[in-house]
Amino acid sequence: MLTLFDVAVVLATGLLAVLGFLVPPAHDGLLQPWVVTALASLLFAAILLGASMINTIMLIWFERKLLGRFMDRRGAMHVGFAGLLQNFADGLKLFRKHTFKPREADGLGYYTGPTAYMVTSVVLFGILPISSGWNAGSLPLSLLLALVVFSFAPLFIFISAWSSNNKYSLIGGMRSAAQMIAYEVPILLAVVAVVVISGSFDLGQIVTAQQNYWYWGPLFLALVVFVAGMLAEMERIPFDLPEAEAELVEGWNTEYGGMLFAFFMLADYVRALVGSILVVLLFLGGWTLPSYVPSALTSFPLAGIFWFMVKTYLVFGLFVWIRAALPRVRTDQLLRVGWMRMIPLSLLSVVLAAVVVVARCLPLFGCVPPLGG
Amino acid sequence: MSEMWINMGPQHPMTHGLWNLRVRIDGEIILGVDPEMGYLHRGIEKISEVRHYNEVITLMDRTCYVAGMSWEHLFVLAAEEALHVEPPERARWIRTMSDEFQRIASHIMWYAAFVQDIGLMSPFLYGMRDRDLVLDLFQSYTGGRLTYEYMRVGGVRNDLPPGFTGRARKLLDWLEARFKEYDDLCLGSDIFHKRCDGLGVLSADDCEALGVTGPMLRSAGVARDLRKDRPYSAYADVEFDVATAKAADVTARYLVRLEELRQSVRIIRQTLDWLDRHPGPVLADHLPRWLGAPYAPIGNEAYLLKRSYPKGRGFSTIEEPHGEAQAYVVNEGGEHPYRVKFRSPVFANVSAAHKYLVGYRIADIPPIMGSVDICVGEVDR
Repeated sequence: MLTLFDVAVVLATGLLAVLGFLVPPAHDGLLQPWVVTALASLLFAAILLGASMINTIMLIWFERKLLGRFMDRRGAMHVGFAGLLQNFADGLKLFRKHTFKPREADGLGYYTGPTAYMVTSVVLFGILPISSGWNAGSLPLSLLLALVVFSFAPLFIFISAWSSNNKYSLIGGMRSAAQMIAYEVPILLAVVAVVVISGSFDLGQIVTAQQNYWYWGPLFLALVVFVAGMLAEMERIPFDLPEAEAELVEGWNTEYGGMLFAFFMLADYVRALVGSILVVLLFLGGWTLPSYVPSALTSFPLAGIFWFMVKTYLVFGLFVWIRAALPRVRTDQLLRVGWMRMIPLSLLSVVLAAVVVVARCLPLFGCVPPLGG
Repeated sequence: MSEMWINMGPQHPMTHGLWNLRVRIDGEIILGVDPEMGYLHRGIEKISEVRHYNEVITLMDRTCYVAGMSWEHLFVLAAEEALHVEPPERARWIRTMSDEFQRIASHIMWYAAFVQDIGLMSPFLYGMRDRDLVLDLFQSYTGGRLTYEYMRVGGVRNDLPPGFTGRARKLLDWLEARFKEYDDLCLGSDIFHKRCDGLGVLSADDCEALGVTGPMLRSAGVARDLRKDRPYSAYADVEFDVATAKAADVTARYLVRLEELRQSVRIIRQTLDWLDRHPGPVLADHLPRWLGAPYAPIGNEAYLLKRSYPKGRGFSTIEEPHGEAQAYVVNEGGEHPYRVKFRSPVFANVSAAHKYLVGYRIADIPPIMGSVDICVGEVDR
């Protein structure tokens, strides 16, 4: 089956062949396997970055249009067809802006914070498969790795908030760290439920394990916990209090402007995209469709990616809907819900997952116990 | 964490205007507040002394930019008393109607800003959309959307255009349906109650001691409303209930304002019926000439000496959307008021901030201050 890396190898070979043709003495040296692999890796990374950035920007467009409809207006309309290019224009504007540092800010933290936040967010795309074979490499623990990288964020947010030397930034950064750490736990427990039922930490295998039934049914509780936790991790309404503009101006990124602000903004949406992708992978069958769907819908080229993106955007649409409908909660309320409701619920969902695993292996369902008994 | 001061303002999303709330906090808990006003002071009272009476009305629109009509009304009532002018009956009813439409526009504006403060995005735009329709209606008979310059000493500038009452009734029907939607979006949400219940409590005694009036006072259970207690214009002839609530918190203020919106619709319906049946003049006859012709002839300073008009003093107090506004006008003869003094209800309401903010959290400041309904133009004047 064609994978993204194969595409990169083909491109790299082609490029090197053209280069060898133009510079004949270097021809043999250029087409050695390690050169091809090295260039293919670079191309792969570039494609991944480009695709994820374009996707992220389209996600912002999607949110703006959807929010517009929820709010009885039309959203961006003027740049490009139906405002499709509006966000590219906004991005370019930020790109052209002068990058500056407040005099009292700490330079090291001020610059590394947003950069590291951005990098760790984009790295996630290298880990997540978007169709069978369409990822950087299928790791046996890719789910765990994705969550680990995902949870770097509070550190970098806090670094940038603290180094900005602004009271609003500091308060926002502390809120952000507290909230993200509080919601890591229920998210991980909800993921444990998925792991228990699928028997794997490999995202590709988790999707394959959902052939017969998607996990949102048996693990509905885990899905609810996961989505709520993801909302808190993404800092979206109703859990956007680290950047609650009514009280904290812009929260932890108050002091940022220009491209550094764009890093935060993009990374936020990258994380929103990753959150939606994780929901799709863990609970909604990834790129697969139920078997009763006519095969014409699943057999066209790149059907897996197509359905995957459709599901991802639907999940993100749910997040946008929540944003349009709910007010913001307060920090203490958020943390109380996190520790006192979410964690027990996620523990319960782990228990439910175990029940499902045991029930699946009852003789009634004709299954052999997996423990080799 | 140690105590620190935060300046919430003068440029801060919570302020909805230009003022500064200095907050002393420990972690997230508020230990003390110090509202600083005066960034928007334009000296309206002083400027009024060198303006003709009808020119002061232009300033009144700028006093509170979301309730211009109410302030015009306030000033013309005081000026009429000072100048011994009696407006015709129809003008009184048009003023009452305009006042109530202004209350609706102002309260909807408050609703939009308030829900935005607690993070509700969509109702903010619903509010702005509905307010725009009220402004359209204002435009259809005054020509202005925010600054109307419609009322005159001795009446109103022009009569309502043909077909106005029909359009107004249609708008009222639309608005009534929207008010239910507003309630669904706020009161129907658990998070709203979590954010607003029991916040910013200001008891009736404190209100009285600190001069807090308007919806804040009524939310503490005091049924004080100048439209009932000291009726002006046509309020004595219309039926309505004074909206009150008990809890004295943010939710109670929300309830009072939403109920006032409904009562305003009720009042306007009665005024529209009356206006349909009673055509007539809208500006008093036999006004002094200079009330009708505001600009003095250049090069003829003798007009300053025209002291023949009787002297007088005028006091008026009305239930403005934010609270009880008062105006005092001293007429020492001549074309300009000798002295004008206004009482801004919001100034008193904001000055009481230490009573209803201390002890809550930073995150509670936007809903609490939002529930006060601040209009900085009127505070600073």
